[in-house]
Amino acid sequence: MNPNGPTSPAAGTELELRWRSSRHTRRLLTLGLTGLFIAVLARRPEFAGLAAPALVLLAAGRARPQLPRIIVRAKPTTRRAFEDERLAVDVTADGTDDYSVRWRLHPGPEIAPVGATAADGRQARFVVTPERWGRRQIGKLEVTLRDRWRLAEGHATMTLPALDCYPTPARQQTTVVLRRLPNRLGEHPARTSGEGIEFFGVREYVPGDRQRSINWAASTRRGRLQVNTFAAERSQDVVLLVDSTSDVGQPGSSALDLALRGAGAAARAYLEARDRVGVITYQWGGASWLAPALGRRQVYRIIDSMLASDAGYARGASFARLPRAALPPGALVVVFSPLLDQRFVEALRDMRERGFSMLVVDVLNTEPPARRRTEDRLARRLWRMEQDAIRFSLRELGIPVVHWDGEEPLDLPLAAHTRRPMAARR
Amino acid sequence: MTRLAGAVGMRVAAVLLGAGCLVWAALPAVHRGYATFALDVAIAGVVAGGLRLALAAVPVPEESYWPSPGVRAWRAFLDLVRLVPWEEGAVIGIAWLEVLHPSRPWHTALLGAGLIAYLLIVHLAESDAPLATLRPQARVLGLGAVLLALGAGAGMLPAAGAGAGSGLLRLVAAGALIAAAGLVLPHVARDV
Repeated sequence: MNPNGPTSPAAGTELELRWRSSRHTRRLLTLGLTGLFIAVLARRPEFAGLAAPALVLLAAGRARPQLPRIIVRAKPTTRRAFEDERLAVDVTADGTDDYSVRWRLHPGPEIAPVGATAADGRQARFVVTPERWGRRQIGKLEVTLRDRWRLAEGHATMTLPALDCYPTPARQQTTVVLRRLPNRLGEHPARTSGEGIEFFGVREYVPGDRQRSINWAASTRRGRLQVNTFAAERSQDVVLLVDSTSDVGQPGSSALDLALRGAGAAARAYLEARDRVGVITYQWGGASWLAPALGRRQVYRIIDSMLASDAGYARGASFARLPRAALPPGALVVVFSPLLDQRFVEALRDMRERGFSMLVVDVLNTEPPARRRTEDRLARRLWRMEQDAIRFSLRELGIPVVHWDGEEPLDLPLAAHTRRPMAARR
Repeated sequence: MTRLAGAVGMRVAAVLLGAGCLVWAALPAVHRGYATFALDVAIAGVVAGGLRLALAAVPVPEESYWPSPGVRAWRAFLDLVRLVPWEEGAVIGIAWLEVLHPSRPWHTALLGAGLIAYLLIVHLAESDAPLATLRPQARVLGLGAVLLALGAGAGMLPAAGAGAGSGLLRLVAAGALIAAAGLVLPHVARDV
């Protein structure tokens, strides 16, 4: 069993106690020794009497054996939480009958305590909230045992389990739908007739048509039986492409924060529309991917996949090497990127030339700092022009680029593309 | 609310006991044997000890890459208040003032009782423990009080002779009493 590391909460963790004298002991010892020293030096027995209570307290307390180790159980209420969601950690110490137990929680980075971080008693509960997405250590738990006389203190520290903190998804209810949809049942009305519920047109009756679909008004006008036809309902493949190479901006609202929140929202919205959704994370050393699939669990798989990827400088990942399963032909590719990495932009152009329908959500919301020097102002203008040129070149290739500030729902910037099916231009 | 009031009361009691012991040992003022220095040390110890208790629940500012001078100064102040053993300094200073004091042994005995009460209350205040925590130690504290009284009594006995040997003899007698108590105590403590 790992003495100071995370382990199964049910079994508990055996912690080695480091015993030492308490501050109380040191103070009593100071009083006792000072009294004795003065008594000898000044030959005044009353100072020996002054030292006596402290010394007898020390002598009585030292007569007790000390517990070598204890078993501590720490159980978080959940191992997965969204940003700013509260979770509790229940801690219990076994075999500490004759001792008073004090707990102190030292929260890990980006973990904020809610309420007290210290508690007394064999059982305690600490409430914390993760402030930013990522795989986070909840923190360290310090246990202090005190004997009945409070002369000795046993200290032990335990590392609490890690927590997967998911980015809080943005709001998105509408979806972008391609004009050409694969021949697979779904919920998007296609441009072919089928068995859906949306009116598609009127045609002449043929034997075998259902009687309830006869359009009597049209039949009367034309003098022959006419039946209503309905649009077929299809699903689409959606691939979310997250650029994690550049994380610029304030922590909490940086480009990567927004990309993850936007991708989480998009994954939810498309999966609720019965689309198959996958993710590709463009990252340090290449690209990680998750093949498109259906179901609510896919949301968590997608977020897990994004969190598992390393953010940082990309060594020029190429999407040409990705398997067909990761990037199915005819899929809608929704890109979340600040478009700062030139190689990522080149990869987008390459994908567009291979015929993918793409939509870029620009999550860049920061600029180089404004300074007074002429050279700085010039550099800032050049940077802006370069950014405009990148977006212009993508639009020229037929890739719509919409800007999202992270505050408003994603439906707003995407409104122009969610009102009507998106054409897949080649 | 009751718990908060109890904690505040314990801290106030600790400071008042420390100040009381200090005044008891320092008055009337003497001006020999580094009395002023001992008085300064004792005052600093009692005041800073009280500050430490008052600031016990104040969290240390979080680590940051480049903290502001104010944050750095506040952190240094908290470290100074929390790491230095102020109460020990106060005890030594008060005891030294008592040595210089033209007092009788009963005066020292009362100071001893005050000092042990001060240390116990400081301990209760810093660990947020109730007064009932001391209940198991009542018998030992009672024994300590008896020894304190015996020490004072030994100090009040008239010297057997005029020489330095008689003082030493009384001291050895008191020390032997304390040592005997220390030998008996482990057995007493086991029964508590």
